[in-house]
Amino acid sequence: MTAFAQAKRSPGLVPSRARVVAERPADERALVLAAQRGEREAFSALVRTHERRAYAVARAIVVNHEDAEDAVQEAFLHAYRALHRFLPDQAFGAWLHRIVANAALDITRRRKVRDADELPETVASPFRDPAESSELRRRLQEALDTLPPRQRAVIVLHDVEGFKHAEIGVTLGIPEGTARSDLHYARSQLREVLGSVRSEL
Amino acid sequence: MTQEYRGPELVRDDDLTRELRSIYAAPSDASWWDALEQRINARIDAAVIADEWWTVPERWMRAGLIAAGLAVIVAGAMIVRSQVQVTRMAYQTVVDPASMDLPEVARGAAMTEQQARLRILTGR
Repeated sequence: MTAFAQAKRSPGLVPSRARVVAERPADERALVLAAQRGEREAFSALVRTHERRAYAVARAIVVNHEDAEDAVQEAFLHAYRALHRFLPDQAFGAWLHRIVANAALDITRRRKVRDADELPETVASPFRDPAESSELRRRLQEALDTLPPRQRAVIVLHDVEGFKHAEIGVTLGIPEGTARSDLHYARSQLREVLGSVRSEL
Repeated sequence: MTQEYRGPELVRDDDLTRELRSIYAAPSDASWWDALEQRINARIDAAVIADEWWTVPERWMRAGLIAAGLAVIVAGAMIVRSQVQVTRMAYQTVVDPASMDLPEVARGAAMTEQQARLRILTGR
């Protein structure tokens, strides 16, 4: 019986769709060890567990849904190839988020170069946004696009995804204090936009 | 006692947070996540196959290196042998011109007997 099959018998080890983020560190360690031995099913279980959080990290950095999906795919592939270098006693999520953030930053850099050669209309729209027509949403989206990528990532990771400053620091490879000040400046900018739109409407 | 500076005071804005959450809402459709998982796994499978295709097993690599080495030795020996033969023929031509089989050399290289003699003498 493979380690993954043994792990399956332990309730709560193989994540179901309903509780993808809920995980027990010991179970995850078993999955990581099994994946490191080459059990593809174990790695698939890790993908299932972490894909939502990985998407959130990527989406905080890139400007649209499609790029976030690309970043997630690239990151998981990179993680699979680098799995032998991962120390199982570390937090797999934190390690993966760093990889996702790097993949997303790469895509952002490539897009910046590509967009410099293209017409401005080619900037993609965010993922299905039914209220995009609302003035406030549109202006806020514009303001988000003008924020430096790191500040945008920090505010989204903190306010939308609930990351702590220390987690943001690890994920983006910046000091915790920098994450705090980025959050402060990003909030100030966006609050200003929000205030001016409200006074106009 | 000095207090560690923790950066600017962070003021939460619930309206802003609500708007941000609606802009950055992740897909809620479970089938989309299933599809993403499948795409990730398919991409990894494709990469693994590609990696395996390029990775030559160690014993094959060793056998290949030995075969290539042997081929180089054989080719080198043949070159040396042909050069020795040409030198010997040139020497014989000088010592005993009658022993030279010029018509045969000329026929093999598609040239006149005179050209064949010159070739043997110059070793080319």
